Amino acid sequence: MFLALKELKHAKLRYTLMSIIIVLIAWLVFILSGLGNGLSTLSAAAVKNLDADYVVYEDGAKATFSKSLISNSLVDDVKKNKDVKDATPFGASMAAISHGKKDEEKTDIAVLGINPGEFIEPKVIEGKQLDPDVKNGVLANDTLKDKGYKIGDEVQVDSSTIKLKIIGFVEGETYNHLPVLFSNVDQWRDYAFAAPGSNNGIKDVVNAIVVQAPDLDPAQLDKSINGIETVTKSAAINGMPGYMEENGTILMMLAFLIVISAFVIAVFFYVITIQKTQQFGVMKAIGASSGFITKAIVSQVFVLSVIGILIGVALTYLTALIFPENMPFDLDGKLVVLYGIALLVISLLSSLISVRQIAKIDPLTALGRVE
Amino acid sequence: MNGLQIKNVTKTYKEGNSSITALNHASMDVKPGEFVAIVGPSGSGKSTLLSIVGALLKPTSGTVNINDKEVTNLSSKALSKFRLQEIGFILQSSNLIPYLSVVDQLILVKKMTGKVTKEDQEKAKKLLTELGLGDKLKKYPNELSGGERQRVAIARSLMNDSNVILADEPTASLDSKRAHEVVKLIADEVKKRNKAAIMVTHDERMLAYCDKVYKMEDGTLTLQK
Repeated sequence: MFLALKELKHAKLRYTLMSIIIVLIAWLVFILSGLGNGLSTLSAAAVKNLDADYVVYEDGAKATFSKSLISNSLVDDVKKNKDVKDATPFGASMAAISHGKKDEEKTDIAVLGINPGEFIEPKVIEGKQLDPDVKNGVLANDTLKDKGYKIGDEVQVDSSTIKLKIIGFVEGETYNHLPVLFSNVDQWRDYAFAAPGSNNGIKDVVNAIVVQAPDLDPAQLDKSINGIETVTKSAAINGMPGYMEENGTILMMLAFLIVISAFVIAVFFYVITIQKTQQFGVMKAIGASSGFITKAIVSQVFVLSVIGILIGVALTYLTALIFPENMPFDLDGKLVVLYGIALLVISLLSSLISVRQIAKIDPLTALGRVE
Repeated sequence: MNGLQIKNVTKTYKEGNSSITALNHASMDVKPGEFVAIVGPSGSGKSTLLSIVGALLKPTSGTVNINDKEVTNLSSKALSKFRLQEIGFILQSSNLIPYLSVVDQLILVKKMTGKVTKEDQEKAKKLLTELGLGDKLKKYPNELSGGERQRVAIARSLMNDSNVILADEPTASLDSKRAHEVVKLIADEVKKRNKAAIMVTHDERMLAYCDKVYKMEDGTLTLQK
């Protein structure tokens, strides 16, 4: 630390530039992961929020809600399994709503059909929970407030005669990037299967059954009931259209960014170390071990990286403040700590290349010439 | 036996199929309090000898003893510790650490051994004051003259209380007035602190300060004075 700090103080410009590079890399990593996280939340938050372990689909649906149609009567069959604590139907459809005025801009939403009072119903932040006696009552995601919707509004569902009544607001519920309306499953069915025959002739049709069962053996459940396939909740999230592709793109960008930054940092520290070969030769001649010099370099990299990453975090949160409201930016503390540590480890590892070079420095260089 | 003994030290380098003898059975004794000079043209092997004595280079054959310890037997890991404790190097003028203040140059030597105590701080200041640098303690090498830099190097070589001082062309980049001052200072400190000292130089004017002068020519060491 002694050498590291003295040198940082002495060569301020050089090391300021060096830490600016680390700041920029950290900033980019955090912004990108925040955006990626925001995007994937937007894409599947409503499914992620389900307090469940497994989802039961129609056999062949490949864990996609829109490809799956099963009968509500299977809920009772699923509940008969001894490992299942609770099960409830789930339906999802895309729709557009408006206040029904002329020339009004319509709003895209997702209608999710659930049974009132079941374990997957989210808590309202305003208004009332779903009520079986108010068939057309819905819980709306609070982002719809910005579009001028409020409690008590009767909204017109596009291309149908159905009117829904907003009775409560919930928070952070999106599905396929769209704000969610939670509705009674019967009301949802009236909308989604209004066309004759669209329910494939299945009585009381739903898209899937959401199951609470921590110790369930899904293969065994599939065997006991005909025509279903059971997957974990995370498989259900991955089965959302576009979810894997979106996440894959973001992850790929992050991975490349991290690999490239490892190289950039390594090269900079390597060049700085090479410049100091003569000095290190002198130190070795007067008795410094390679370990002593290594400690000086690694602690220098540590100090620079920690400062750089902390500034990067601060900049990220400042940038998040000036992002437009509808930009899907979501950076949780755990992720910041995780990526921060990852960056620190990467820059420490990349400094090891320089350390290898130190071991090779011959103290004879200090004598100015080798005969 | 204290001091420094060099016995029959030979160093040969392989160059292609032939081998070059840089040192040919060199022997000398340096007692504590004795200041010895080695002169000779460049390429004669005097720096090779200094490197071997300074535990920087292994000889092909022969032995070097410092305070009854045989340097040539030490492992390469033990060598850096040996250099730190037993040898004070005075290198050419450019060999101070650019980002350390004068007093920190000396503290660095103590840092290499572990913790730095209050006494070490006091000792560094005392040494520098004795060598006439009392008002330059916080200066950096680029703010010092060549002579002052070399005095810092002398103070650094004394910091670890080693018994042997090795000086490699200490006057290389100095004008003759400064060169005389620096070599006289080394001679005085060697006497005062009872060190065994070797100086490699090709500056014949400096030999007046030395007790013995050896001449090195084509790897062969001969006593001149």
